[in-house]
Amino acid sequence: MNAQQLQHLYWRAGFGPRPQDVAAGLSPSKALRQLLHEARTYEPITSAALSYNDPQGAVMAVPAAPATLAAGPAAAAPAPASSAQPGTLSPARMDAPPAAVDALRPRSALALRRQGVPQLRRADLTPEQRKLQNEAIRDAFIGMSTAWMDKMATSPGQLREKVALFWHGHFACRTRRPDDSLALLNTIREKALGKFPDLLLAVSQEPAMLQFLNNQQNRKEHPNENFAREVMELFTLGRGNYTENDVKEAARAFTGWSYDAQSRFTFRERQHDAGPKTLLGQTGNFGGEDALRIIMQQPAAATFLVTKLYRFFVNDVPNPAHIEPLAAAFRKSHYDIGDLLERMFSADWFYEPAAMATIIKSPVVLVAGLRRTLNLKVDNDRQLLGYQKALGQTLFMPPNVAGWPGGRAWIDSSSLLLRLQLPSILFKNAEFAVRLKDDENDITPQTTGRERTVKTTETTHLPLAPIQQLLGGAPPESQPQLLADFLLQAPLRPENLALVQQAAAKAATPEERLRNTLVSLLSLPEYQLA
Amino acid sequence: MQRRDFLQASALASTLLLVPKFLHALDRPENQLAARLRDAPGGAARRLIVVQLGGGNDGLNTIVPFRNDLYYKARPTLALREADGLLPVSDELALHQSMKGLKGLFDQGQLAICNAVGYPNPDRSHFRSMDIWQSGSGSEQLLSTGWLGRYLDSNCAGGAPAYQALEIDDTLSLALKGAQRNGLALKNPGKFHQLTQSRYLSRLSQEKAAAPAGSELDYLYKTLAETASSADYLYEKSKIHNSTATYPNTDFGRNLKTTAELIGSGVESRVYYLALSGFDTHVGQHGRQAQLLGELSDGLAALAADLQKSSEWNNTLVMVFSEFGRRVSQNASNGTDHGTANNVFLLSGALRKPGLLNQPASLQDLDQGDLRYQLDFRSLYASILTDWLGADDKLVLGPGIEKLAGLV
Repeated sequence: MNAQQLQHLYWRAGFGPRPQDVAAGLSPSKALRQLLHEARTYEPITSAALSYNDPQGAVMAVPAAPATLAAGPAAAAPAPASSAQPGTLSPARMDAPPAAVDALRPRSALALRRQGVPQLRRADLTPEQRKLQNEAIRDAFIGMSTAWMDKMATSPGQLREKVALFWHGHFACRTRRPDDSLALLNTIREKALGKFPDLLLAVSQEPAMLQFLNNQQNRKEHPNENFAREVMELFTLGRGNYTENDVKEAARAFTGWSYDAQSRFTFRERQHDAGPKTLLGQTGNFGGEDALRIIMQQPAAATFLVTKLYRFFVNDVPNPAHIEPLAAAFRKSHYDIGDLLERMFSADWFYEPAAMATIIKSPVVLVAGLRRTLNLKVDNDRQLLGYQKALGQTLFMPPNVAGWPGGRAWIDSSSLLLRLQLPSILFKNAEFAVRLKDDENDITPQTTGRERTVKTTETTHLPLAPIQQLLGGAPPESQPQLLADFLLQAPLRPENLALVQQAAAKAATPEERLRNTLVSLLSLPEYQLA
Repeated sequence: MQRRDFLQASALASTLLLVPKFLHALDRPENQLAARLRDAPGGAARRLIVVQLGGGNDGLNTIVPFRNDLYYKARPTLALREADGLLPVSDELALHQSMKGLKGLFDQGQLAICNAVGYPNPDRSHFRSMDIWQSGSGSEQLLSTGWLGRYLDSNCAGGAPAYQALEIDDTLSLALKGAQRNGLALKNPGKFHQLTQSRYLSRLSQEKAAAPAGSELDYLYKTLAETASSADYLYEKSKIHNSTATYPNTDFGRNLKTTAELIGSGVESRVYYLALSGFDTHVGQHGRQAQLLGELSDGLAALAADLQKSSEWNNTLVMVFSEFGRRVSQNASNGTDHGTANNVFLLSGALRKPGLLNQPASLQDLDQGDLRYQLDFRSLYASILTDWLGADDKLVLGPGIEKLAGLV
């Protein structure tokens, strides 16, 4: 049972256990301490694609020197899909020149560069320039997504990346500006385990969020309530815990919160409504910081946030008996997220058998989990993004401002069939082609059907040594059960064991036998659960 | 007045004021579904085909106000003229010249055109606006289920099979996702069946979860079993009828053909969902839109003829929509940018009110260069749900959506 509890913790607080995590044989409480310790370090994600392929730079170089129209962007932007693309952080590309990583520039540098170049309005672009710009933006998002996926699959700071994934859905945001999106992501990753009010304030002042929720248009004379509404409805309190009048008053408090041409938060005093406001029962000449402070004084905030975290980390069906004490402690700790999660992951009820295998893995968790638990090496992790998208989750592209609904919403006939086939596609080159929907056309309009098709290509390497080590020379007939104990959080039933054994028996070599066993276990509905 | 209340009131007001009288809901006994179904030939169930034009089709160059000076003023090079071969459907309006197939259906009383359909506070993002149309929400509202998914939830509960709603595609749209039930996506019955036919999967799909009913594992096994049995059913059934009709040799054309074959085979699905994308015409709109509208028109005309042959056209209603229209003025690159209200087409062999259903959007009274909507798309949904599918629109769309009577 101890191993099962340990794996439960690794699936919930991270992206699954590696064979070496199980071999270490820590108690869940020791493992939790280690997870918390390793999550302390924060390193920003910097995307090679972004600096090599800066959309603004690529397009803006053009009008200055029309003669280089063809050469300019091509030179600046190496073909994104090519395996030689520098700077991608996957282990398979460690042979890329180290200079590529050194060349990553911090966001401030990008902003400075943008400052020096006159902004082009979309309408001024030629069709060719527009296409290049769209592609550069798309490739930057792909670069950011693969870099973050890589962190999820490989970083020791599992807990930080997992909580960041939660906040990524909680503070859902779509923009056309990769550098702003990356800045928001890093803010979320940096403050993921700190005090929630600090995270909330930082997110609320991110240009990406201010733009997405139209606070740039929130001015004294013409308040735009979108930002204030979502802050209360989605970020902090939930419906029913504020009035429409509170939305109006909070919107007035946020007037003037804005960002400048260099994508830096600015307070525009002339656009701010400095008059008295009455928000959630308090009256004063409130600014945006005051509004957030007053919102976080509402007891409803703790219950709302803890319920949402509980549904993500513990069970999609909230249990008030678990949630209420956590919410009380959360308030008392001044909304210390790390403290809350430590309480969650050390509660007795968290390790009860009934609490295990109750969460349907999101596509990102499924794919990152496959990579992590199997030490998978991928040549082209861009293709893995295609599977995620076909399964319904594209990082940086939440379905709307409320984020991914999660739970059973991940599953329908086609997504379930693809999930069950994914191991065969990845490890046995099973044939596969899915044409993705044309729903990213906010960024790249008019992509052809061929461009939208995700197809099987040989891209993964499944090292068997770590698994063999885990099995420790167990006889072939007991291997399916031992592997099931490692890969599945739900018990393997006799009928399924028989099916897995049949698949294994078809093998010609011990390696093939092991591979067949792995693939058939990973293809069970049970593997969809963590 | 509070903001959301105001929006609701204004949505209601526009529906009531600008839609012609014959469309107002009166709930006369003869409008009630039971009576209509009783009178339907053979008592056959009606079905709905939704066609989604992705990218924001330019409605003004689809249903062209070819006698309106304001139109020509706003679009000096992009406007279409009678000499281009426009196909007039009234003194004021004409179909795009590439839509001869739809013109034929119009002349036979099998096409109805709703003008200026939209919603309050329109969103010009493709993604968000499509989200609004697919979920059936207002622009201030967030729903994580689709309108047809909630139709499945509320009206096909209990033992209703999973193939009640089919999307002819590889992946399932939000429109067909419910809280309890989902539609089913398949590119064609053969390919879908093949996916479930690996020995491993087919064995698994016959199993039941050894988990408590209602648990996540139980849900996964149930979904798998339903998927496999639906795939079997659709594959076996679809062998019955092969269409010999000629459809456009495109992905959309093939999907229409698959739809006609499933219908002709007697598949008991109530909803089909198809998409035709590529309408985001910021640049060089003329050729691109003409090609897409031709594909749409030829495809739908072939479908109508095909279903007529299998005597299913009178039981079929096709609704064609796009997430928004384009701006009234053309842009500098001979294209159009994202706009607001747009046309919706209804096609059937049994339309109660074919032809032009309401006045075109005014080109005089614009909202910052954009068309004002006259008809909330949710009113159309409500009417189709109640009067065509025999469902309870309030369970799907919530209260306060004005229905249109005499439409379908």
